[in-house]
Parts: sequence; C-alpha cells; structure tokens
Amino acid sequence: MTTASTPAVEVQNVSKWYGSVVAVNEASFDIYPGVTGILGPNGAGKTTLLSMMCGLVKPSRGSVRVLGEEVQGNIGLYRRLGVMLEHDVLYPFMTGRDFVRLAARLQGMNDEAAVDRAIHAANLEDAQHRATGTYSRGMRQRIRLAGAIVHEPDVLILDEPLNGTDPRQRVEFADFVARLSMQGKAILISSHILEEVEALADRILLVVSGKLAAAGDFHAIREKLDERPFQVRIGASKQREMAAALVALDAVESVSLDEFGNIEVLTRNVAELQRMAPKLAQEIDSRLYRIEPLDDSLESVFSYVVQR
Amino acid sequence: MLALRQAVTRRKLALLIILALIPLGLAAILDSTVAEEGTLIGPVLGGLVISVTLPITVMVLATGAFGNEVEDRTLSLLTTKPVPRWTIVLAKFAATVVVAAPLMAAVAVVITMMDPDGTGNAPLAAAVGVVVGVVAYASAFTWLGLLTTRALGFGLVYVLLWEALITTFLSGTRYLSIRSYIFGTAHGLNDRAFGEDLTIAMTPALVGAGLVTVVFFLLTVRRLSRMDIQ
Repeated sequence: MTTASTPAVEVQNVSKWYGSVVAVNEASFDIYPGVTGILGPNGAGKTTLLSMMCGLVKPSRGSVRVLGEEVQGNIGLYRRLGVMLEHDVLYPFMTGRDFVRLAARLQGMNDEAAVDRAIHAANLEDAQHRATGTYSRGMRQRIRLAGAIVHEPDVLILDEPLNGTDPRQRVEFADFVARLSMQGKAILISSHILEEVEALADRILLVVSGKLAAAGDFHAIREKLDERPFQVRIGASKQREMAAALVALDAVESVSLDEFGNIEVLTRNVAELQRMAPKLAQEIDSRLYRIEPLDDSLESVFSYVVQR
Repeated sequence: MLALRQAVTRRKLALLIILALIPLGLAAILDSTVAEEGTLIGPVLGGLVISVTLPITVMVLATGAFGNEVEDRTLSLLTTKPVPRWTIVLAKFAATVVVAAPLMAAVAVVITMMDPDGTGNAPLAAAVGVVVGVVAYASAFTWLGLLTTRALGFGLVYVLLWEALITTFLSGTRYLSIRSYIFGTAHGLNDRAFGEDLTIAMTPALVGAGLVTVVFFLLTVRRLSRMDIQ
C-alpha cells in the first residue's frame, strides 16, 4: 500500500518522440494514492504517457518512477503494478476464468480464491467459463480489468477502461474504483470523455498535443473550462434585428452573421442566452428556428485551456 | 502451453502439413520410378527438405511467435507481468522447436529410409541434422520476427539468396550457413549416405549451430527488454 504523502508515480521532464513526431513534451507530475484521471482528446499523448509509466515505452528524455523505483526494465515492479492498456486484446481461445488465472500465474500466484475475487469484482461470474472470443466489448473490458487486479496491486493504470461499457457497468466501475481508492491504492484512469473522468477522479491531468496543459483538483479545472466563451448559432426569421437585440445582452460578447444568414454569438453565459433569446425573438416578432452550440467538442475545450 | 497454442493455428497447421507432404509425395513418385541409390537423399532430402521445406516451416512458426503478438498487441499482456524476458523468449523458441522438429525429423527419416542408401544409422543422422537445423533456424527467425514486420521477406532472402545461392558457389561462406550445419552434422554421423557436397566438418557445424542458437536467443531477449511495446 502507498501512503498519501508520497507519490506513487513520479514523472519528471519526460518527453517521447518518434522520429520528428513529438508524442509527449516535457511532462512533469506526481500521482498520489486516490483516483487521478488523465484527460485529453484522442491523439493527445495519453496512451504514450501511460505506456511510459508502465515501462512499456522508454522515454526519449526524463524519468518515470513508480513506487520510488525506475520502472523501465524493472520486472519485479509488476508485482505491485496492475496495467490495463487501451488495446482491446485478449486470447480469444481462452475462457474468462483461464485468462484471469493466467494473469495470476504470471504473477507467481496459484490462488483460485484470488481469481474468484477478481472475477467477482469485475462482475463476470456468470460468463467466466465462456471463451473470451464470445464476449461483448464491455465484458472484454471487465475481464481485462479482472486480470489487472488479480494480484491486488498498489498502483493501477487503466487506459480508457470505460470504452464499450454500458451506464450500469460505469456505475459499478465507479464504485469499484472508489473502494480501491479507499484502500490507499493509486489509480490512474485515462479518458477522452470529460464526464467519465468527472465521475471517477478527484484530480486530473489535462493533456493536449503531448503537453500537460493543467493538473490538479478536478473541480477547479472544470470551473476554468466553464468560464470559456462559447460559440452558439441562432437561426431566426429577422436575423439583423435579432442580432442587434442579442448584442445588447450582458451575456453576449460578440455577434456576427454567417454566410447562410445564421447569427453566431460568442457568450460566457449560455444559460442566460438560452433564457433571453426566445424573449427577444418575441419582442421583435421574429421566429426562432434553432439555438445550437458550435464548439462544444473536447478539442475546443482543451484548446481553450492550453491557450490560457 | 500458451506459446504453443498461439504458434499453431489451424491455418498454420494445414500449411505445415502441406509443406511436409510435398517432399514425401515427390519421394514416393521417385521411389516408384527411379529408385537409384542417393536419388532421394540427394535431391529430395538435401535439395528440397533441408534447403527449402525446413527453413520455410521454421520461418512460418518462428517469425510469427512474436510477430503475431506485436501485430495483435497481445505482447503487452505478457510484458507487464513479473516474468523474466528470457523465459518469454524461451517459451516462444521452444514452441517452434516442439512443433517443427518432430515434423521435419519424421519427413527426413521417412525419405532417408526410402532411399537404398539410407541404411544403418542414416535415418538417425538425417533426424539429428534436421533437429540441429530446426533449433538454429528457430532462434534466428524468432529474433527476426521481433525485429521487423517484414521478417518473412528477410527470412526468404537469407534462405534463397544466401544459403541456396551464395554458399553454394563460395565455399568459405558455408561456415555462416545453417543449411551447411545440417549437412555437416548428418555427414559427420553417416558419411556414406550424406555426401561431402555443400558440407563442413561436424565439429564446426555443431559449434556454428550452437553459436547461432545462443547468439540469436540473447539478441531476442535483449530486443524484447529494450523495445517499445505499443
């Protein structure tokens, strides 16, 4: 078990490049016991960072230490480290139970009770004797998770663990992660979906374009994200009158008309805009066709944080 | 067991059986038509089995041992466990040898016994030579499979260009040829059935095969320990 005051994972000035492509650029952070989320859009460098923390990929520069030890080439460390990578890979000819049993044996354990516990934690008792080739995506994720936790590691690294899971499984997974966290384990979870990490992690690392854009308490970073200006498209029958009315609102920073006659509004208060737009339309006797966000993609959210 | 299960898929098994049946069928045809001394051991065993069938059989198995795991990304399932890298390599290497050695030895023994020259310890000499070759090829091709995704191509260049062409005409290069180690071993055990063509002495043949096996085994362990695994 790790203690709350000492980092379970220390990443210092780590960079990784493949030829001229920089996957991770000068990242430094510590991971403490509890749940930490690595958040970033696809291709941001999350998996490369996690692979370096697992000792699978050697940093081009910098160092990664897990539980106080260099991870690269340190085979014994895997007794205290559980890993579930993003790739949806299993041995399709094996049953789920055999897969978890293999994971246990590769850990030097011949402990059927540990296999039972891991399968129970993954909620796969009913399907454990089926070949994994017949599993659904969510079941495959869960049996891989069982394989990663069968030796009850102190540090658990999970790359996109909620891919393919249904809402009920997500709730169960959140409970499961919370239990591990209360036992003093350090759990690192990556995702490209903001809400997923929000439900699981207390702290987040925000990775964009191979750089660590922000790190710390989730709620502080979420507030910072919510402060950003949003672009909203509004369709109305009297575009120019509607645009003039909108620009007078405190919530609106700027207004423009696009080539199709739609009004594009920049606002820091979407709720206020949504409340006021129908009223304004009524006042000027205009029909309101649509109010839709334009840039609510993760990429735009992350880009905003990086620019800040 | 896992390495063995991964090494032998149905498709591979079918391919290996076809590869083994081709020289056996050819030997049966020649046996019923020509039936002169050395006809089967020379062209069929030496020219086909040892020069082509054996290296290709081992190549199919050994290059896929790690190559398939790199391709389908299951390698990280093994390398994130506290298992010494040499044991992973040994399992892959052993899986290739366990499948290829009995198969190729059986083919070599049957063809040798069909030849009027294949008396005394000739079948045993053929089997030992083939097993020596399987072991050396398995080590080299396992490394190649971990090194590059084009392992089959490079393997074929080695077998068809270096071994079949260059070592045939430049006798000094035979000391760097696994095929010559096979011929050298078989010839050393039975010099009547296995002629001196393309041969080196038994001692350098065994030393060469041993060196190839050990060196490529260590290179594979080193590669597995240092490579980035995605």
